[in-house]
Amino acid sequence: MVNTKAEALGIIFPNSYDALVPELVSERLMASIPFASRYRMCDFIISSMVHSGIDNISLIVRKNYHSLLDHLGTGREWDLVRKNGGLNIVPPFAQKQVKVYAGRIEALESIRGYLKKQTEKYVILSDANIAVNFDFDSLLDAHVKSGADVTMVYRKQEIPQGMIRQSTQNMDLYYALGLNGDRVSKIYINPTEGGEMNFSLNIYVIGREQLIDMIDEAYLHGYTYFVRDVLDRQIDNLDIRGYCYEGYVAHIHDTKSYFEENMRLLNEENLNALFSGNQIYTKIRDDNPTRYINGSKAKNVMVADGCVIEGEVENSVLFRGVHVGKGAKVKNCVLMQDTIIEEGARVEYVITDKNVTVTEGKSLTGNDSYQVYVAKGQVV
Amino acid sequence: MAKELVAMLLAGGQGSRLYALTQKLAKPAVPFGGKYRIIDFPLSNCVNSGIDTVGILTQYQPFILNEYIGNGQPWDLDRLYGGVHVLPPYQKASGSDWYKGTANAIYQNIAFIERYDPQYVIILSGDQICKQDYNDFLEFHKSKGAEFSVAVMEVPWEDASRFGLMVADEDDRITEFQEKPKEPKSNLASMGIYIFNWDILKKYLIEDEADPNSENDFGNNIIPNLLRDHRKMYAYHFNGYWKDVGTIPSLWEANMEVLDPEHSGINLFDENWKIYSRNSGMTGHRIGDHAIVEDSMITDGCNVQGTVKHSILFSGVTVEEGAIVEDAVVMGQSTIKAGAVVKHCIIAEKAVIEENAVVGAKPDGEGVGEVATVAAGVKIGAGAKIGPNAMVYEDVKEGEEQW
Repeated sequence: MVNTKAEALGIIFPNSYDALVPELVSERLMASIPFASRYRMCDFIISSMVHSGIDNISLIVRKNYHSLLDHLGTGREWDLVRKNGGLNIVPPFAQKQVKVYAGRIEALESIRGYLKKQTEKYVILSDANIAVNFDFDSLLDAHVKSGADVTMVYRKQEIPQGMIRQSTQNMDLYYALGLNGDRVSKIYINPTEGGEMNFSLNIYVIGREQLIDMIDEAYLHGYTYFVRDVLDRQIDNLDIRGYCYEGYVAHIHDTKSYFEENMRLLNEENLNALFSGNQIYTKIRDDNPTRYINGSKAKNVMVADGCVIEGEVENSVLFRGVHVGKGAKVKNCVLMQDTIIEEGARVEYVITDKNVTVTEGKSLTGNDSYQVYVAKGQVV
Repeated sequence: MAKELVAMLLAGGQGSRLYALTQKLAKPAVPFGGKYRIIDFPLSNCVNSGIDTVGILTQYQPFILNEYIGNGQPWDLDRLYGGVHVLPPYQKASGSDWYKGTANAIYQNIAFIERYDPQYVIILSGDQICKQDYNDFLEFHKSKGAEFSVAVMEVPWEDASRFGLMVADEDDRITEFQEKPKEPKSNLASMGIYIFNWDILKKYLIEDEADPNSENDFGNNIIPNLLRDHRKMYAYHFNGYWKDVGTIPSLWEANMEVLDPEHSGINLFDENWKIYSRNSGMTGHRIGDHAIVEDSMITDGCNVQGTVKHSILFSGVTVEEGAIVEDAVVMGQSTIKAGAVVKHCIIAEKAVIEENAVVGAKPDGEGVGEVATVAAGVKIGAGAKIGPNAMVYEDVKEGEEQW
């Protein structure tokens, strides 16, 4: 039989690290944060999985998931409308005594029945706070070849300052790996040291049956966190391997990094690094092409379809349907969908969320280290 | 369950006067307006008018068109009952035949229409750029108690003799049809869009097919026969934007008109009448540090480092630093390399204009003038020169000239 289907199913935790970007997730979750002019964060992991033949993908949502449901719909744009598998969004099961899940163990326990019924041999777990064009085929190959129980994906980099800063008040843990060869010998939980570490990207491969056993056991003990309470406790008994990812990663861990990761894509090398691999799918909006009219000026920008540019735009990322009025100036900004910058307004170092209007002649200025954020639907 | 109205879209046109653009492509599949193909207009009109059953009659170079239409999902025409269907000529027990004419194409698909048991059938053309509410047309047809209605445009009297003309009384009832007459009695040009009562259409198609001398054409045969029998025929006045983009200059001109919706009347930016298309899925376009972009339309996936003025770039076009693109229509994934100058022309998909090559030139006088055309996939070598009237089908070597 022709085998185009991967031997793994995907599980994505779309709310992971929500707490790091409280403004951006006030009306959504991490996975549905708009990114790179026309995408949402979850598009990257989902598209990567689809291109690797993974067509059975579940997202276990915790809260604020309306925007995610709206974005993903039936999953058609990701080619995930399937009789077997396809896209599966799991909302919290509304029972009085069940509170919204805290860690991965409760989340996975909530879909235990589903996991049990699947036929794929492996499970790939991932968050949605990174934009990557990830080759899950190679990861799965490496996992199978090594015979490991668990494979953890890491990247050699410094721990992002945004994570360290918030590590004390934050229930989303982060990890770095101590390696012995490719064997994970130690897991550092919320490390605060500077310098390059094996920073976990929170992408894991594990056998499906084994995962179910681990979850059952951990759930009985009342454990919360999969890495801290399961993997770390059994690090000597389990064969846990590290898998180094060397490709391009945009990592969102605070509002500043959100701004910077968008800006970083203005550099063509970075843009190509993220997008020249497999196509990243997203929801289609049927916008017309963007118009540059009435003496507009554009310099070093990334602009999606559906915009009308009449003013000046420089060093900025514009999402679909943005309107920059005559005489308006936009510099070093990230303007999300359908933002309107009216005539003569000036914005610099500003992030506008969806449907923001900056009215005629108004001026908003942030700076290099602190960007002004304007919440969804606000009129300035 | 019967459908009230079924649309039949004539998309078999070869578009021979589009030369280089229709070598490997049916005319309805020719790209237009940055991210559309011509057929997106009638299809979007259908779905925006509430028509959910569309048969597309294809014959010439159908592969790209077939793939493009697919299951009809981009136009919301993937339906359990109805939806969009591509209808090429097919083999029947009594033999098979190409579509001999527009009427014959419908005749050969009578069985398709019968499946939906419609009251009315609308015949559409797949090679016009037009935003039209077919529902309004149907209401007109019903209110007149018509058996046949045709959409007409008022054209200037001096141009009237180039069209098929409907002569109508003050109640819009058609009394005479003149095909490109020397002495026009009317300035109401047929747009080639008809609504028939299905029983009438079927009767006349069968009669027409039985006539060995017929050209099996709506304009030349069916309409004259309806007139002969004094059928209830009415002319529906349409006064929106309509353009038959049958020639290179008219296609170029229509694209340029998209750049100026405020004056030209073709507004692609209408939220209430969206034109749908199959999207490229490319990332947002990039405008570089030294780029100059004026009065232009740029689509997803473009990378502009040079100068683009009064032009339309389709998805994934690259304009390198130092290149100049002016009054040009550059279709998907073409590349204009450094120092190349591209003016007043149409560059088809995936063409490459090498460094310092020159394509086209601005005409001296008023009017559209000549429009240079480069076919899909063609490479124009470094320093080559393509004249303003050239039609380029094959690669042009470095430094060569073609006029």
